Amino acid sequence: MTAQALSTRSRSAVWLRQFLLQGCWNYEGMQNMGFAYAILPALRDFYANRPEEALKAVKRHLEFFNTQPAMGALILGASVRLEERVAAGEADPRAIGTFKVGLMGSLGAIGDSFFWGALRPMASVAGTLLALLHPLLGIGALLFIYNGVHLTLRRRGFTAGMEGPEGAVGWLKQAALNVRTDDRKLLAAILAGAYAGVFAARFIPQGGSAPYALGWFLLAAATVHLFTVLFRKAVSPSEILSFLLVVGVLNLWR
Amino acid sequence: MTWRFLLAILLGGLCYLDRTAACQMMLHRPLVVATLMGAVFGNMAAGAQVGIMLELIYLARLPVGASIPPDDTGAAVFGGSAAAFASSSIGLDAGSFTALLLLSVIVAEVGKVADRFVRKVNGRIARLTMESVDRGDVQAVEQGLLAGVTLFAVTGMVLALVFSGAGVVVSKELLPLFGPASRGSFAILLPVLPLLGAASVYSCSRTERTAAVFFLTMAAVFGGTVLFRLTA
Repeated sequence: MTAQALSTRSRSAVWLRQFLLQGCWNYEGMQNMGFAYAILPALRDFYANRPEEALKAVKRHLEFFNTQPAMGALILGASVRLEERVAAGEADPRAIGTFKVGLMGSLGAIGDSFFWGALRPMASVAGTLLALLHPLLGIGALLFIYNGVHLTLRRRGFTAGMEGPEGAVGWLKQAALNVRTDDRKLLAAILAGAYAGVFAARFIPQGGSAPYALGWFLLAAATVHLFTVLFRKAVSPSEILSFLLVVGVLNLWR
Repeated sequence: MTWRFLLAILLGGLCYLDRTAACQMMLHRPLVVATLMGAVFGNMAAGAQVGIMLELIYLARLPVGASIPPDDTGAAVFGGSAAAFASSSIGLDAGSFTALLLLSVIVAEVGKVADRFVRKVNGRIARLTMESVDRGDVQAVEQGLLAGVTLFAVTGMVLALVFSGAGVVVSKELLPLFGPASRGSFAILLPVLPLLGAASVYSCSRTERTAAVFFLTMAAVFGGTVLFRLTA
């Protein structure tokens, strides 16, 4: 049995469709619809004139799937390559499910930590600091810092995945996302410290003495620490803001 | 005013699509959305001020697994439109600004409920799609996904209309009910909000190395700014 090769057009279609991985996000299958949609052009190539097998392949990809969306590109690329092998009779179809389930959890954790826990905060705080100079500069910085890394990792991940599961694993080792995560967390902390310092100084009343300024700084640092402790105790920012809203309203009627 | 709302619906819908359904290129971040809404409603700088405050506050809530963070895009739509409108009517003093930022938490929670609703409806779309695939209709996957994306887009547009409308109504009707002195009672809470944002980033990026770095940078920048002010 031989599978038809993946056409350039279908490869491009799969690449573009991965941006809609969460297009039909739902609680039961999570990103299953998005994944099946993204891989469909490749399945149409591999199983041309074999509708029964194409149907089975689509059902395989409608099973539960959830990972960090940008990291999905890597799994998608590798799944395309695995499907090609299955269509050619060189691999067991069950290998695809095992591969996806095995990788989506760990890649989800790595991706969440890197993208949501490090890169996004770093880009956000850099953007807000530059927005103090000009809003458009801030927006430009936020989008450039985030997407420069985000789109590069998506493209490289997809390309590595297309080399097969071995290529995917090799790229993951080479990418060293854990090191990059730590570096970006450090940068985010530095920038967030600068943001807190700028605003703490901004609200000091004019004409205050040095001990007054020191007291104000200590109060600001203690407030940040208090919020951090509250976040650790699973208090959400919404709850803190709601509390402040109530305080404001009570103060209004005082 | 109609064209402003039409523009808000269009831009809001696009930003909401970026939030979950498509791309995740950070077009939905409060800094972007609030600035856009500020520009649409006549004062980009006022919208940007809201964005600068809201951008960091909700970062501590990560969109991991099935957990849905508060809708900071909606909060930015509300805050950006309200701040821009207020600046051209009653004036955007510190009290009004703080009140708008605090009121946006209600919007963020309403948006979260809407997000949950969309995802539940998507569950039905996914089930119907699977039934169609079982009957041999592979194309149903594409139709189902298109339905899901459309649902996200339409909900985003409706939320953008409702939240920007709420922002304008609050600025036009609610804030003028209170005099500048009353609104000023909110202003004492303003210094807390950027610290909440900074804490949010700090708690995301907390490692053994970052704690000292965060507070040292904060002290250095604070000291530098105060010295600059004293010598200027």
